[in-house]
Amino acid sequence: MRQVFRKLAEDRSSMLGLALILIVVFAAILAPWLSTHPGDVTEFHTAIRLSPPNADNWLGTDRMGADIYSRLLYGARITITIAVVAILVAVLIGVPVGLVAGYYEGLGSDLLMRGSDVFLAVPQIVLAIAIAQTLGPSIENVILALSVTYWPFWARLVYAETRSCKNETFVEAAIALGCSPWRVMVLHILPSISSSIIVRTTIGMGGTILTAATLGFLGLGPPPPTPEWGRTIAESREFLPMAWWYAAFPGLAIFIVVMGFNLLGDGLRDVLDPRLRRASSGK
Amino acid sequence: MEKRDMSSLSAGVRRRTLLAAGAAVGVAGLPRIAEAQRGGGGRIVFANGSAYDTMDPHATFDVGRVAYRLNCYDGLMRWVDNPPKLEPWLAESYTTSEDGKTYTFKLREGVTFHDGAPLTAEDVVYSMERILAVKKGAFPLFAPLVAPGSTKALDRHTVQFNLTTPSAIFAATTHDIYVVNSALLKRNERNGDWGEAFISRNDAGSGSYIIRRFDPARGFLAQRFDNHFLGPAGIAEIDFRYVAEVNSRVLGLIRGDFQGTDPYMPQDQIVRLQGDANLNVLEAESTRLFYACIHNQRAPMNDVNFRKALCHAFDYDGWINNILGGSVVRNTGVVPNPMWGAPKDLAGYTYDIDKAKWYLARVQAPMREIVVAGMIGYEQSIQAASLLQNGLTRAGIQSRLLNEPWPVVSNKMRDPEQMYDLLFLWRSTYYADPHNWAGELLATERHRGGNASYYSNPEVDRLLAEALATPEQAKRAPLYEQVARISSEDAAAIFIHNTKWYGPFRKNVSGVRFCPIGDGQEMRWLSIA
Repeated sequence: MRQVFRKLAEDRSSMLGLALILIVVFAAILAPWLSTHPGDVTEFHTAIRLSPPNADNWLGTDRMGADIYSRLLYGARITITIAVVAILVAVLIGVPVGLVAGYYEGLGSDLLMRGSDVFLAVPQIVLAIAIAQTLGPSIENVILALSVTYWPFWARLVYAETRSCKNETFVEAAIALGCSPWRVMVLHILPSISSSIIVRTTIGMGGTILTAATLGFLGLGPPPPTPEWGRTIAESREFLPMAWWYAAFPGLAIFIVVMGFNLLGDGLRDVLDPRLRRASSGK
Repeated sequence: MEKRDMSSLSAGVRRRTLLAAGAAVGVAGLPRIAEAQRGGGGRIVFANGSAYDTMDPHATFDVGRVAYRLNCYDGLMRWVDNPPKLEPWLAESYTTSEDGKTYTFKLREGVTFHDGAPLTAEDVVYSMERILAVKKGAFPLFAPLVAPGSTKALDRHTVQFNLTTPSAIFAATTHDIYVVNSALLKRNERNGDWGEAFISRNDAGSGSYIIRRFDPARGFLAQRFDNHFLGPAGIAEIDFRYVAEVNSRVLGLIRGDFQGTDPYMPQDQIVRLQGDANLNVLEAESTRLFYACIHNQRAPMNDVNFRKALCHAFDYDGWINNILGGSVVRNTGVVPNPMWGAPKDLAGYTYDIDKAKWYLARVQAPMREIVVAGMIGYEQSIQAASLLQNGLTRAGIQSRLLNEPWPVVSNKMRDPEQMYDLLFLWRSTYYADPHNWAGELLATERHRGGNASYYSNPEVDRLLAEALATPEQAKRAPLYEQVARISSEDAAAIFIHNTKWYGPFRKNVSGVRFCPIGDGQEMRWLSIA
């Protein structure tokens, strides 16, 4: 484990990714203290609407005169919450399904995997839009839409890994020693495939945030006045190019956090999963 | 019988300078247009923010989709110019019976549909019956007045409407009796659908332009009808495109891809267009009320104290002066300020959170989260909803914003169960009469058809009925003023501002004649260089 951290620490791009993620996470946690106008999540000041960045409103104001910087900080909370909960739920569904389907053979296993194929057959974003649209705009529904559409990716991954792991000597040994199937799956197979899951989860975070922002952009995210980043960009369209700051800063925030997760995910993959190592890393 | 010919109706119509030198028009009272200058070439591409989902002139009744009705179909009468004047169109003249219940219209002779078939009284009867049968579009306007089967063709060019009750506004609404080619529709009728499947995608009119192509995703393209009874229109081809994004409409206009667009955009974009050297942004005082429906029948909004709290929670000054940059004026009552029948001394409500809280403390029903709706694609309604939410939060009322597209919104408005708690929208002019606002928005009989606040007050109903039964404007005006006062006291809705019209066009477009009815989208007057 220590070796993993050391290798990761040597990779500059992974460290940059980690730093970006930490910045956003801290911004989210410390939003009430870091924001200059904490009330602006719900309070408007129409007299100063669409002000460019200035000493009082560091990143300018939006169409209702609310401080964009403060709303971005609170928006980080929503983004992080959506991504973490959605991914967690997707992992909690996908990993057990993949493990069981990969370990056992037969009709039950086929049924589980064909079930996940059904979800994979439809483009993930289209399915998420359909679910979010049907259920109505709210944070809970966005999380549900993302979890429901994301779990098959983990199921597929874990299924393939379990299948190849099942014939390894240590698994056979465990079975020969009389371990129960659950014990074999959870204590023997799962730890050995955990690196793939971690890599997939980290990279998946970026994608999830992007999809959540897309849903917000389309008006399917949490309703106003929630300072969701995607919706802020959607609102800003009508005021472009005059109010460039209105779209630029939320866009930059999404870029930073997605970039952070992708860089960290790539770094983790190099360290944990040598088979998929980046060609350019030369290690 | 009281004879009303068109010269009396258009009394006060000044000969337009544009037309002063124009060829004399043979028929007395014809809209005076310089026919000699008509029939030019060119094409105008107009970017429209609303989608055209049908080409059936009897299926829609809104400004967003008015272009095909106005340009491809003709009505008995037509509203033109600003202030609006009711001009003869397919009809040459009409008479009203003593009891005000029988209207006899004399049709212009020699009018033909696009396929060459003559337009006769039978087509008018068919069109009226069709409006009553398909129950869409202008149906709520005619349903209380005209019984199915009561309209008669007295001869080839005379049609008689027999109203169930006298109506001072009937003639004013005949603009919306768009006459369709009955023979063509009957040939294309499927299972008694009144030709709905056919006409929703095909042309069946006599208007200035012939629909040549229609695609709900793109819009419609129409070519000039050279045999129109007023002579050919100025531009050879009109191309109305559905362009949902405000920025695409604005950039397209600046680049020259479009020659005109609708003004449904934030004021900031209008200012941007005004600064462009290649564009003319026409301005006119309009009669278009911006307001918020309050569902008067659902708790807690059924308590007048709660409705008054809502009215005091909207920041009118911030809205008009900051968000709309002072481009509109406050309208405290149901009737737009420039219209007769609007009381000049109605104070209305002010943004006052303390008063809102005071009224709120007197509400009996338990509080709950209310849903405030705006319309996707109509930025102002969404912004107004946000602004109200801000005030509601300060007053201590929980609310949730919901933005939905116009087709969804218009369906929900017709159902009291599905109607939102509050909804921000406009009431445009469909006929230039205070009844267009006071009557359509407040009368109990307009529930499910215009009165989306589901407001009901017997005194208001009585005043409106009396106003409808009174022909003289001087006697009707005080009745509407009274209705405006009562509905303000009842806080029937949040009345906000009267809109100013902006018409962004390229500089090579001339001849735009704005009329609040149709929002300046009648293309036959235009020329393009």
